Amino acid sequence: MSDNPLRRFPGTGTAALAFFVFLYAPVVVLIALSFNSGRSSTLWEGFTFDWYGVVLDNPDILRAAKNSLIVGTISTVLSTMLATLAAIGLDRARFRGMNAVNSVIALPLVVPEIVTAVATLIFFLSIGLKLGLGTVILAHVVFCIPFAYLPIKARLEGMPIAYREAAADLYANEWQTFRRVTLPLLWPGVIAGAMLAFITSLDDFVITYFVAGPGASTLPIYIFASLRMGVTPEVNAISSLMLVVSILFVSVSAWIGRRSK
Amino acid sequence: MSLNLLKGVAGAALTAVAVLAAPLAAQARELVLYNWSDYTPPELLKRFTAETGINITLDLYDSNESMLAKLKAGGSGYDVVVPSDYMVKIMADEGMLVDIGVHDMPNFKNVEGPLKSPYFDPERKYTAPYMYGTTSFSYDTGAIKGLEASWKEFYEPREELRGKIAVLNDQVEVINNALRYLGLPLCNESPADMKKVQELLLKQKPFVALYNSDGTHERLAAKEVVMHMQWNGAAHRAKMALPSVEYVYAKEGISLWADNFAVPVGAKNIEEAKIFINWMMDPKNIAEASNFTGYMGAIPAAAPYLDDAMKADPAVVPPEGMDKLFVMAKPCDVKAKELMDKVWTNVRK
Repeated sequence: MSDNPLRRFPGTGTAALAFFVFLYAPVVVLIALSFNSGRSSTLWEGFTFDWYGVVLDNPDILRAAKNSLIVGTISTVLSTMLATLAAIGLDRARFRGMNAVNSVIALPLVVPEIVTAVATLIFFLSIGLKLGLGTVILAHVVFCIPFAYLPIKARLEGMPIAYREAAADLYANEWQTFRRVTLPLLWPGVIAGAMLAFITSLDDFVITYFVAGPGASTLPIYIFASLRMGVTPEVNAISSLMLVVSILFVSVSAWIGRRSK
Repeated sequence: MSLNLLKGVAGAALTAVAVLAAPLAAQARELVLYNWSDYTPPELLKRFTAETGINITLDLYDSNESMLAKLKAGGSGYDVVVPSDYMVKIMADEGMLVDIGVHDMPNFKNVEGPLKSPYFDPERKYTAPYMYGTTSFSYDTGAIKGLEASWKEFYEPREELRGKIAVLNDQVEVINNALRYLGLPLCNESPADMKKVQELLLKQKPFVALYNSDGTHERLAAKEVVMHMQWNGAAHRAKMALPSVEYVYAKEGISLWADNFAVPVGAKNIEEAKIFINWMMDPKNIAEASNFTGYMGAIPAAAPYLDDAMKADPAVVPPEGMDKLFVMAKPCDVKAKELMDKVWTNVRK
């Protein structure tokens, strides 16, 4: 007899199944239709890989993908660095307003994206910053910080202080302790945080749409603009590729998190 | 020590961001084109670069309103935009367009017909024509036959079309064409007239499968619906996939619209923009764009370069005398707009 208390409630399994079907059926359909030989978004006409060829041959899609990767990579590196510094700086610190600082760091997670987008745009314009790839990166760095910060902070909190004390006993200075002890132990958290930040950046539409300037369109913006012509197999193919990348990164992040426990 | 390290790393991070945020000086001649999606042939842009040495960056938008919002929200840096007729008027009135003297460009001599001097830019100071088209409705002749060339078939459909009609999610097109069908003036400020329109649209509603402006050609070609209000270029694309599709020239009149090249205030490469706009008024170049989009340019000399399928499709090249049915709707005053909004809200709720 299973000790799972949910089992006592009839229909829990069915409800869970219905929930997952509701959640993932559209994704499965999207991927399936990206292999549809016809242009219809509803009728299956045969199997083909052609649309992936069309996607990889389209200079506008490739430019949007390149922009997405540039923005994602740079904002991930910067936000992860800043998140790591924040986590280490706040680790075991005790001061008035500590909770407020943590709340401020987590703020982008709870503030509606549209509010962040409008506020960021107004801020950039008020300081005379020209919209472009740079403004997209700046905006992404800011909202990616909490995604990187939380796994790093969790990892740091689970790290026994004894290791660092032992390093100090062996005459290691702060930098040596950080480089030889803290960082290697923290590394899985840093990688997990970076991957979450990268996926968040790669998938973002709302904030990017507001702060992107000429030539700074990312894949989500390209996909949105393309929908005027309907959900074509090309759109399905790009979406499927993005989905695969997202699933890959999230899975690796989760695997690293589990493996490091 | 650790404080210095933190300062150093944070400083490096902020420096990197600052460097990225600073606009890089362009080496080659370039041009940033902001256009509708699926409306610019990539090969044409490559050829333009090869012929002129000007590199083109293409950004996409999905509606006139989002383009306007982007420009107003500090999206300076776009050199050429492609607003529709009514949007040209709005942008010109707000001082958002540069007078580039299109009428003085060498290739402007190729422009003929009503789009040489349209209401939204009579002197063609700000804009050059790109594509123009009409909005009516199409249907699958394989599924239903013997339809009259009238909006009656769309707004008061036959019983067998129940749940099989798709309507553009566009209050201006839907209401204007309903007004035409009822023989009432456009930009109507009479509540009694607009009540008639509302009643007509509510009576039509049970026949409507969906209100949607995306991918109209695919919906019709895939036989998801039998009848669809749509643009003539979309009808042409649908016909390419399903030859039994027919575009209707409703006797009461249909909407004529025109998309145009314009240079927004704040453009950095105005000379390059002028070169591009003039180049696009060359018959061969506009024909290549027409073959890609399924719409016509306002340049009759482009006809010999059109694909045979384009020339043969009445949706693209209207039959003799049909152009007298085309009506370009002007933007309405506030009162008419409010009545339109009210009707549309009541119909869609």
